[in-house]
Amino acid sequence: MKLLVIEDEKDLSDSICTYLGKEQFICETAYDYRTAMEKIHTTEYACIILDITLPYGSGMDLLKTVKAEGKTDGILIISAKNSLEDKIEGLQIGADDYLAKPFHLSELAARINAVIRRKIHSGNNIVRFNEISIDTLAKQVTIKSEPVELTRKEYELLLYFISNQRRVISKNALVAHLWGHEMGAGESVDFIYTHIKNLRKKLQEKGCGDYIKSLYGMGYKLTDL
Amino acid sequence: MKLQAQYNRISVVSSIIVLLIAGIGYYFLLHYVLTEQLDETLRVEQVEIQDFVRTNHSLPPATTYKDQKIEFKKVAKDFLQGFATLTLYDPDDKENELSRQLVFPVQVNGQYYAASVTKSQEATEEMIGLILLVTLGLIILLSVLLFFANRLLVKRLWKPFRTTLASIKNFNLDAPSAIKNEKTAIYEFNELNESIHMMTEKVVKDYVSLKHFTDHASHEMQTPLAVVNSKLDILIQDPALSEKNLQHLQSIYNAVDKMSKLGQSLLLLTKIDNKQFCETSDGDIRSVVENKLQELDEWIQEKHLVVRNRVNYLHVTMNRQLADTLISNLVINAIRHSESGSHILLQSGKRSLTISNPGATALDKHRIFDRFWKSQHSDGTGLGLAIVKRICDQYGFLAQYEFKDSHHYFTIAF
Repeated sequence: MKLLVIEDEKDLSDSICTYLGKEQFICETAYDYRTAMEKIHTTEYACIILDITLPYGSGMDLLKTVKAEGKTDGILIISAKNSLEDKIEGLQIGADDYLAKPFHLSELAARINAVIRRKIHSGNNIVRFNEISIDTLAKQVTIKSEPVELTRKEYELLLYFISNQRRVISKNALVAHLWGHEMGAGESVDFIYTHIKNLRKKLQEKGCGDYIKSLYGMGYKLTDL
Repeated sequence: MKLQAQYNRISVVSSIIVLLIAGIGYYFLLHYVLTEQLDETLRVEQVEIQDFVRTNHSLPPATTYKDQKIEFKKVAKDFLQGFATLTLYDPDDKENELSRQLVFPVQVNGQYYAASVTKSQEATEEMIGLILLVTLGLIILLSVLLFFANRLLVKRLWKPFRTTLASIKNFNLDAPSAIKNEKTAIYEFNELNESIHMMTEKVVKDYVSLKHFTDHASHEMQTPLAVVNSKLDILIQDPALSEKNLQHLQSIYNAVDKMSKLGQSLLLLTKIDNKQFCETSDGDIRSVVENKLQELDEWIQEKHLVVRNRVNYLHVTMNRQLADTLISNLVINAIRHSESGSHILLQSGKRSLTISNPGATALDKHRIFDRFWKSQHSDGTGLGLAIVKRICDQYGFLAQYEFKDSHHYFTIAF
């Protein structure tokens, strides 16, 4: 699956491509409005990651062009302007999601996966990792066809892990994903620990492998045994 | 002291001193002139007597006519003539009277006589008195008139100043209206108005640019932070990282989180200041509180806090997002600063909401709502309560802090 990262900050663009390139994605980059416009016209992407402020033009105009031409590319806006108006405008024009800078790459990956699930594979709402499968529409987790009862937070956690499978996710990213920015990482260490412990227990009870590995408590990774 | 009172005090005192000195001078001058005149008539009398003696070789008769008295006395020898002022008893008026006397020698047939011509000075004195009285009366009348005229005039002269002052008093940086710049005929006031106009324009410009600066600075901070964050996310993928290095990375993560939150809070503050949350709707504080407590339930459970929610229906008209932020900041504050197992109480008054939680010592109630003020142990940004204050300011609500019976009380009066 092809992604287009339209972001003028090369370092950030590089990070995004490095992180997402590890999985099923092939990343292309555009550092300015003109290159982005060319690429949008010539190639179809599963998802476009779009910064609003660009050299030679606005990301909003790119978004309008994509929509006007009836392209089906998923669009995720990443913006330094965390303003509600921007977000509303972007979503109204037809962006699929909006992520304010700074963000965690794991969060970006999870959002991109969600956008692609909703857009490209319409109808295919099953996410899998080995014997775990999640029906994202019914929000139902099954292991070897047997349903697992998870709390909302545990479900979100598992989906997040699968979206970032085989990659280390920092505790801070998990906290931000589950509780937004209201709680600091220092204040929620124990929550994360408890939730992950419960999730592992529930999965293992159904005969699932213990895939969630801890990195000295500062990060976690969903990986093959 | 008012300028006018000060002016009056100085001008009245100096006028009195000047008038006193001038009055005394005027009296003496008048006295001198009139005495000279009197002396002149005495001299005319002297010439007449001398003429009479020269032609008749005898003394004229001593006379007393009206205020004039002529007398002769034999003297042994010649002497120098001279004027004198005497106090003489006037048998007609039965009182002492001032008189002017000229004594001069006349020689009749070898015998020297001292001739004296005496005139009452009473008329002169009376005239001086009258002149002084009239003059004094005029001066007093003039002063009184001038005093009132001045008052009226000064009041009118100062009118542009008062207008300017009033508009300075009403000047509000958040909603700058141009200082009234009435053209007056007075150069100083025009200069003052122009200076104030220039000054306020500069202040407003600086204020706006400062606001934009905070706005831009917070925005510009986000992209580098995003880079740092993303590089950290890449870095922790390295399986060769030691536990020690992972701990270092954790510290960087936390610092970046904090900085990003700081940026968000500053942005929120500037947005409130810039009145970017103008959309308002009717709402109920109780439902906001209930939602917030539900959202934070996990945290409350984790800290084994007992939260008693006794908030009743409380209608407010404000921006929904700001209402949410207001309640959120207060509740999170209470949760964050409560020891595990303590009680948090939320209650409402007729038009107020109070959140209380136990605490060891009172906080500085004058500074608690200031930006970047926080207690020593606080891990927050120091902006939460400042945001609460700004939101309250925008809607005219009152945010108060109180410490009573080992409890912190935060009250918002809507």
